[in-house]
Amino acid sequence: MNGFLVAKFLSFITGIVSLSMIWPILWAHFDGSGEVRSLVISMILGLTFSGLLFVAGRHHTDYKTVGIRDAFAVVSLSWIFASVVGALPYYIYGMAPAYTDAFFEAMSGFTTTGASILTDIEAHPKSLLFWRGLTHWIGGMGIIVLSLAILPFIGVGGVHLFKAEVPGFGLEKMTPRLHQMAIRLWGIYFGLTAAQVILLLLGGMNLFEALTHSFSTIATGGLSPLNKSIGHYNSPYIEWVTTFFMFFSGVNFVIHYRFLLRQSGAYRDDEEFRLYAFIVLFSILFTAAVLLLRGYYVTIEEAVRYSAFQVISIITSTGFCTTDYELWPVSVHFLFILLMFAGGCTGSTAGGIKSLRVLALARHVRAGLASCLHPQGQFQTKIRGKTVSQDALASVTAFFILYLVVFIAGALFMAALGVDFVTAASSAAASIGNTGPGFGTVGPTENFFHIPAAGKWVLSLLMLLGRLELYTMILLFSPRTWKK
Amino acid sequence: MHLPVIFKVLSLLSAIVSLSMVLPLGWSLWDGSSDGKAFLLSISAGLIFSAVLFMAGKNADYNDIGVKDGFLVVSLSWIFASLIGALPFYISGTIPTFAGAFFESASGFTTTGASVLSDIEAVPRGILFWRSLTHWLGGMGIIVLSLAILPFLGVGGMELFKAEVPGPIPEKITPRIQQTALYLWGVYAFLTVAETVLLLLGGMNLFESLTHTFGTVATGGFSPLNRSVGQYGSAYFDWIITVFMFLSGINFVLHYRLLRGHFRPLARDDEFRTYLWIVLFCIAVISADLLFRGNYDSIAEALRYSAFQVVSIITTTGFATADFELWPSFTQLILLLLMFAGACAGSTGGGMKILRLLILSRHTRAELKRVLHPHAVISVKVGGKVIDTRIQSSVTSFLILYVAVFIAGVFFMTSLGMDMESAMSGVAASLGNVGPGLGSLGPMDNYSAVPEAGKWLFSLLMLMGRLELYTVLLLFFPGTWRK
Repeated sequence: MNGFLVAKFLSFITGIVSLSMIWPILWAHFDGSGEVRSLVISMILGLTFSGLLFVAGRHHTDYKTVGIRDAFAVVSLSWIFASVVGALPYYIYGMAPAYTDAFFEAMSGFTTTGASILTDIEAHPKSLLFWRGLTHWIGGMGIIVLSLAILPFIGVGGVHLFKAEVPGFGLEKMTPRLHQMAIRLWGIYFGLTAAQVILLLLGGMNLFEALTHSFSTIATGGLSPLNKSIGHYNSPYIEWVTTFFMFFSGVNFVIHYRFLLRQSGAYRDDEEFRLYAFIVLFSILFTAAVLLLRGYYVTIEEAVRYSAFQVISIITSTGFCTTDYELWPVSVHFLFILLMFAGGCTGSTAGGIKSLRVLALARHVRAGLASCLHPQGQFQTKIRGKTVSQDALASVTAFFILYLVVFIAGALFMAALGVDFVTAASSAAASIGNTGPGFGTVGPTENFFHIPAAGKWVLSLLMLLGRLELYTMILLFSPRTWKK
Repeated sequence: MHLPVIFKVLSLLSAIVSLSMVLPLGWSLWDGSSDGKAFLLSISAGLIFSAVLFMAGKNADYNDIGVKDGFLVVSLSWIFASLIGALPFYISGTIPTFAGAFFESASGFTTTGASVLSDIEAVPRGILFWRSLTHWLGGMGIIVLSLAILPFLGVGGMELFKAEVPGPIPEKITPRIQQTALYLWGVYAFLTVAETVLLLLGGMNLFESLTHTFGTVATGGFSPLNRSVGQYGSAYFDWIITVFMFLSGINFVLHYRLLRGHFRPLARDDEFRTYLWIVLFCIAVISADLLFRGNYDSIAEALRYSAFQVVSIITTTGFATADFELWPSFTQLILLLLMFAGACAGSTGGGMKILRLLILSRHTRAELKRVLHPHAVISVKVGGKVIDTRIQSSVTSFLILYVAVFIAGVFFMTSLGMDMESAMSGVAASLGNVGPGLGSLGPMDNYSAVPEAGKWLFSLLMLMGRLELYTVLLLFFPGTWRK
């Protein structure tokens, strides 16, 4: 491994995170309302740290020697270091009583999970709430680059072998490609954010809330500066705008890019998008029907609005809520847990297993059934008209198995801490899927404050594992990786 | 599709099931209880049915059997057996609805052990004997199915056993099935006799020894007592049954080799070693958890109860000596996972089977290696033999199907208004052929309160789980019926 390179890269990341704290500082200044001291101290600490890393990595010059092991280390450590620095303001101000809590909140932010330890959110200074929203937004930018430019290089989870390529980019050189691609995709990211902020402002939301909610939506995070999340406004307009933007944030950004390039049928022709849209539609109809039948809502409009918001919030792994869906029927709870596992599209900010993998798994099973009937036949799994190779399928199935194993291990660990069955299982699923709220004692109207410290560390680890598509983290900790 | 062959096999099977009712008839005549008439009626009905099928299949040629026929015969065998087997329960009025009677019978033949009876001891002994006998007959079917039939149908990795099973090298499938069946049933009979004798020596009466033995070697779980094996409160019975449940969860081919004096295949078997390791590990963890949380005071008690429950669940038997719903949630979660795991392939146990878990874990490990060394050729080995990609992919699709069927089942049950814990555990327990679940379906509860539609679904899940999913699912696959 090239330690210099890793240090230099991490210096860059911590530098960016520390400098980003300028925004909440400016906000507090402009607002005259808030807490600046903790942010300034954190920024100075962060920059010092970044400086030290820079000095440690100063001998590095050549980016061409990035090996696969370096990439694992850089990617995994980036999120960890960002969270370590990002947690400082919470801890210094005392918003989180223990560093564990502060780290949990920061990790939840940067992985765009949206699980929170805050009981009374509105009681805290706006500058820190702004920082909370901003961690989502920065995390989301990282995820897009990670999933579309970096992971395909490392070859993780098989999807890269058949997923949509960013138009105009081959797989030749990593660094120039990264820069170019990142800039275009961030353009879309920025555009979506701006569009949502404007629409929310038009709906009468104030600038602070419009910004923080948009950061959360586009990054599919879920932290809100309000105790009752989006449900606070009780406004159909705001709910529909948020629903719409959550849905589109769960779509592969390459498809958005194609659409902007005026490729007709960019959305329609994409099999992954079609499956995603189908699952969303089916789940909304099912939920709305159950809610109407059981008399939770009287009008169809209300039932559809609440179920659309909740279904999309969960499948895109955002985690906003407009109502306490824990009171909804059990079949809907189960559907939501499944949606946590499913997740949005690849190449988006959403978490979970992802629609493209679900599609590949389903086709794999179909081919398996067919080959049972015709033992001599050759059956191929096709996606986007192209045959999916055996290698790619093996990667996807291995990913699925790993996902289940990590989930089970997480749930077992939580249960061993004495947490009840539903809370243990759903908190593990919600963390690995980067959703945020679960069921039981960590439901949409509750928070993670009461979870034992060891549990918070495990859930933070699960968020990171889920966010980095498992392989990266698992291989980083596997002794075999470091064997010569 | 060759319908005459299918009819002929089903006719034979129906006749066997009907004639087996002579044994419980004997018990009820001996006891002078009122259920004798129900058995006479059921035997006649079953035999008439068998004769009709025989007529329909009189032109059959066994050499005609194709892959599709194989799937159809296997699925229909269990369905027909359950239908005929349900008659005594229904006719005698022991179970008021046919859905309930079919559930009980399917639970018997699939060796699940989930029951709709609330007061078991109030039921006449003839019926109870029949209930346990369905386990024993089902177990015989399963051994032949998993070691002689499924390897040739190529279901979910069972192809692996093609070369393993004792018997002549096949030119034709039929004589081979007969030979293999005889060898393996010998083992089965040996285990049954051994356990019955040991239970009798402990002072259990003949009726209870036989019924508990049937429930054990078939990894079924029906007991003629309300509180299952726990009613005796005897460490001797607990340990005897624990040992025999454990043995019944081992591949019968290994037993066969062992009985012929070959100890090595057992000691070297990858699957057996993993099974043993998982069992020991879970017993240790659960005993520690139970002692730590104060559920038991002495180490001996904690070990005895956790060993019984762990072995009962992983072999998918479903006997209980303790109400594990009162145990900590960590322990309950482990037991729930064991329902999915199941015992060894080629045993009477259900679930996904250790062999598949082994292949899945090696498959995943190979994939992780491949990320590090993109150009290396990495093979997956179990027991020193390379598992080719075809078998790997058939095992991975088995896992996905298992998860998908589980999800669909829970969806259905929660839609009927069942709570999450009961629904998840009930579906896992039915699909894995375990029997009792958690929540409202725990070891001290029963399935009588489940709505009709739920009972049918649970019956279907038991069948699917028992027949390794593919067999039943292919019936619903449009490609099966296309020419």
